[in-house]
Amino acid sequence: MDNNVELIEQSALKEIESAASLEQINNIKIKYLSKKSELLSLLQNMKSLEKEQKIALGMKVNKAKETITNALEEKRVALEKEALEKKLQEQKIDITLDGNDFSRGSMHPFNIIVKEMVDIFSSMGYEIVEGPEKELDHFNFELLNVPKDHPARDMQDTFFINDKELLRSQTSPVQARVMLSRNGKGPIKIISPGKVFRRDDDATHSHQFGQVEGLVIDKNISLGDLLGTLQLFVKKMFGEKREIRMRSSYFPFTEPSVEVDISCFECGGKGCSLCKGTGWIEILGAGMVHPNVLKMCNFNVDEYQGFAFGIGIERTAMLKYGIDDIRRFYSNDIRFLKQFDEE
Amino acid sequence: MKASINLLKQFIDLENISVQEIAAKLTFSGLEVEGIEYLARGTNLVIGQIIELENHPSSDHLHVLKVDLGPKYGITQIVCGAKNVSLGMKVIVARVGAKIGFDDIEIKKGVIRGVESNGMCCSLVELGVDKSLLSEEQINGIERLPDDSEVGNEHVLEYLHLDDVILDINVLANRSDCLAILSLAKELKALFSRKLTLPETKEFNTFESKLKIDLRAKKCYQFSLVEARDIVVKESPIWLKNYLRSEGIRSINNIVDIGNYLMILTGQPLHMYDLDEFNTDTFIVDDEYVGSFTALNDKEYSLVKGDIVIRSRDSIGCLGGVMGAKSCFVNENSKNIAIEVASFDGASVRHTSKRLGLSSDSSSRFIKGINPSQAHYVLNLAMQLIESLAEGKSFSNIIEVDKVDHSKTVIKTTFDYINHRLGTNFSSSQIINTLSSLGIVIESDEDNLTCTIPDHRIDIKCDADLSEEVIRLIGLDNVKSTLPSMETTIGGYDEEKNKREKIREHLIARGLNEVLTYSLVSKEENVNLIPLNSDQEVKILNPMTSDHEVLRRGLIPSLIKTLKYNLDHQNENISIFEISEITTENETFEELAVLLNGKKMLQGLLRDEPYSFYDVKGIFESILKILNIDATRLKIKEYNSSADFNPYQSAGVYLQNKLVAVIGMIHPSISKDYGDTYVLDILLDSLLNLKTSKKKMEKISKYPSRNRDYCFIVKKDIKVEEIITLIKKSSKEIIKNVQVFDVYALDDSKSVALRVTYQSLEKTLSDSDINPIENNILTTLQSKLGAYLRD
Repeated sequence: MDNNVELIEQSALKEIESAASLEQINNIKIKYLSKKSELLSLLQNMKSLEKEQKIALGMKVNKAKETITNALEEKRVALEKEALEKKLQEQKIDITLDGNDFSRGSMHPFNIIVKEMVDIFSSMGYEIVEGPEKELDHFNFELLNVPKDHPARDMQDTFFINDKELLRSQTSPVQARVMLSRNGKGPIKIISPGKVFRRDDDATHSHQFGQVEGLVIDKNISLGDLLGTLQLFVKKMFGEKREIRMRSSYFPFTEPSVEVDISCFECGGKGCSLCKGTGWIEILGAGMVHPNVLKMCNFNVDEYQGFAFGIGIERTAMLKYGIDDIRRFYSNDIRFLKQFDEE
Repeated sequence: MKASINLLKQFIDLENISVQEIAAKLTFSGLEVEGIEYLARGTNLVIGQIIELENHPSSDHLHVLKVDLGPKYGITQIVCGAKNVSLGMKVIVARVGAKIGFDDIEIKKGVIRGVESNGMCCSLVELGVDKSLLSEEQINGIERLPDDSEVGNEHVLEYLHLDDVILDINVLANRSDCLAILSLAKELKALFSRKLTLPETKEFNTFESKLKIDLRAKKCYQFSLVEARDIVVKESPIWLKNYLRSEGIRSINNIVDIGNYLMILTGQPLHMYDLDEFNTDTFIVDDEYVGSFTALNDKEYSLVKGDIVIRSRDSIGCLGGVMGAKSCFVNENSKNIAIEVASFDGASVRHTSKRLGLSSDSSSRFIKGINPSQAHYVLNLAMQLIESLAEGKSFSNIIEVDKVDHSKTVIKTTFDYINHRLGTNFSSSQIINTLSSLGIVIESDEDNLTCTIPDHRIDIKCDADLSEEVIRLIGLDNVKSTLPSMETTIGGYDEEKNKREKIREHLIARGLNEVLTYSLVSKEENVNLIPLNSDQEVKILNPMTSDHEVLRRGLIPSLIKTLKYNLDHQNENISIFEISEITTENETFEELAVLLNGKKMLQGLLRDEPYSFYDVKGIFESILKILNIDATRLKIKEYNSSADFNPYQSAGVYLQNKLVAVIGMIHPSISKDYGDTYVLDILLDSLLNLKTSKKKMEKISKYPSRNRDYCFIVKKDIKVEEIITLIKKSSKEIIKNVQVFDVYALDDSKSVALRVTYQSLEKTLSDSDINPIENNILTTLQSKLGAYLRD
């Protein structure tokens, strides 16, 4: 009898080893471990044996059963693993093929610059205010110290709609609108990005372009504050190493008026083709708000002073990205648009 | 303004100050020098005389010259290729080592076809002189110097009046006084503290003029005349011609040139009348004349009321401040003239000049503003020049009408104000010295200044102007950088604009490309595909081209233009959007438009899918979600009222009966050039303005949900949304979601397969909870929509 157990076990292990499928494993399990299997029927035929023999045989059979069960399980796992491996091999992919499209589109470079400026000035506590593109002569010129037939009007060749209305030639009218809305009370701290229009068209001038206007009005604002503010802005916008300088200039709505140059970010100030050998690039116009403008907008000039500045959006983008022609902003070639979006 | 350094030097000492230094100081003080033009350039030049001339032994066009360079350099041999060489000719020689022209070409000792050559005989072109100022011979050959030229003279450019340097100064609108050499000299005096010498007046014995002035035009503030009799009109001397040329003014004759020269010097335009042609005893200054006028440019202009003319009873002598008449222009036959110095209103001249498209050096000066208090000075200078250059001996007294208030501008301010405005700590003496250097007369005590402004500085009107004078002269590099110390404010966009920026960012993150197109379009572009706006377009009075003459009423035509541009440049599969302001006759709003054309490239060319209506609809739905707008607040209807859209694949979105968005396919009959195109057009403002409820957490059930699938057969024209709405209504608490998972058409009906998700916040749902609701759904759908379950 004992021998039988061993024989059965050996035969089972042999069969398990040569099994090649889960089905075979199942069949082997039924054959050797079902109640009616040769192995387990040994236990039923045990009645005739002595107690010790019974115990010994029982242990033997159980041990054989356990061995077979383990072997079966081991084989099953091995076969499953093999099957999975085979399946995975069949599903092998070419990892060099394109990924599924999950790409970001692109922000227009004009708005990238606007966003950068908005972010910088927002963080400094500036409100972002927008104004209408169709504007009244009153706001675009008269409240900005440019009466009818003033020669300064020739500085900005303007699109007119009628006697009173025009397409704004600058974002400065927003200054007047905001000041009037505050009823003579400061402080005011705004920037205003937007489109402006002038009768001009070539590689560096477009009849439509963008400006960002800045205005700060309060009781103790000086030209020094303008300089400090612009220094902060320029370093954030163009890099820590950039310096600025001011040159005297003229705008009807500021006095003193200045042009602001930034040290060339291409050559660092040594002189190159970008800065035309001067080491400096003209970047914006600014100044102290003219007392006439404050007065016309109901501010008491003995109490309030302020500064204003204006910067070209495309010009900034052209300098920053080396864009050669302003018209590219408006032909919107996708190949152009996709080059600038970050994040 | 072009300013000759040589001319400036007659009035201001500029010894040992380089042109670059002058240019830099002027630029930083507000008079930007945009260019420095040399008339010519050359070093190591000397005047020589050709004393021997032989043909080159091995060339048919070269000559071998012996040139006498005077005692210092002796006689030298030069090989020369110019055709106009001749024996005895005096020439400009660039010696070995010379650098000539603006490219600094170096002259080296050389051997030309075996013959030694020590220098070069130059043409003026080689010295850099602008060809437009030269004759044919001068351009094609070497310069033939006058016979009396001094051999050995090394100051060749000076001798030829070519040593001048011209500054091209961008005079901004406020500094019209600097359109005058004398004012520039005053400016340089302030900048460099050098000695200023202005031309002085001279006494004349005059006769009593019989001319009268009848000043009727209100916009003429002052009108003065002097008669000059028995003058000789002839060519101007070289120096005068040169100075005019440096200003870009053509020499005409001595009298006209004197007028222009004095305008350059003083900024005051003058006009000269031939009194024998302009035959009148009264100069009528009138602004009521209506009729034609022939200017001295030979063109005819029609004048209207408001244009100022100087006329006799029957003829026009001059269009005031703009241009004289052809008829009484001073020419070589003129004998008796009147010199006019007047002050016309800038705005009025600007108006006339703009309307007629006629401008002159005179009009541009009047427009920017002139010093109205120097008429007598200018007339006196004119008399002096006519005396010396036109043999003028007989001058009349000055006859004039003068309504100008000649009182001086006086400004009171404080040292404190100036420093406070500038953020500086200038001492009172520093401020006083700076302002005084400009000719401002100052009275001051410890705190206050009273400033009397010189006549020519018509731009200085208030205390802020004085602060500018101080800082631009002391130097803007003296401003200390500070930051505003003020109340803290919260920055950024307002709520609505923040939402707009969120939408912009969302669309970009989802793969769309943002574009920016022109607001001004052609009339043709402004008609079709503008579903959201029926208002009239705004027209520009003075457009540049017909391509940009009206404000666009909508964005879609611009996006289509952009699409076509890209397709023409082989960019395919376009997904773009724009957010821009739209302005029409009565409305201004922000619009958002999206355009999809071609395919969604899911995995490059491996896997793609044509864009469809549902792509633009999905974009719209995502925008509603960002804005927290419940879709049930909007009504979506088929949009078939426009021939621009495919009526079977387009939807209009309404908010309280107002069309606020169109989602659809451009009608294939329109899009045949560029293929199927889907657009989304939104009146963004109306959505941004919409008040929305605050976000509040919705409870999530801890009990399991159960799905049941149904397949209904309904009539073809029943919309899925109707089915879903009815299902949802049947139990708001238990029905969590209804999703469509299959729709297909049968003969005259369609099959709609839906999955309904049931879930309760209170318990695990059993069949007995769900069945009654389900039965309710089935009966409602049957009775209201005629829907029945498929077997």
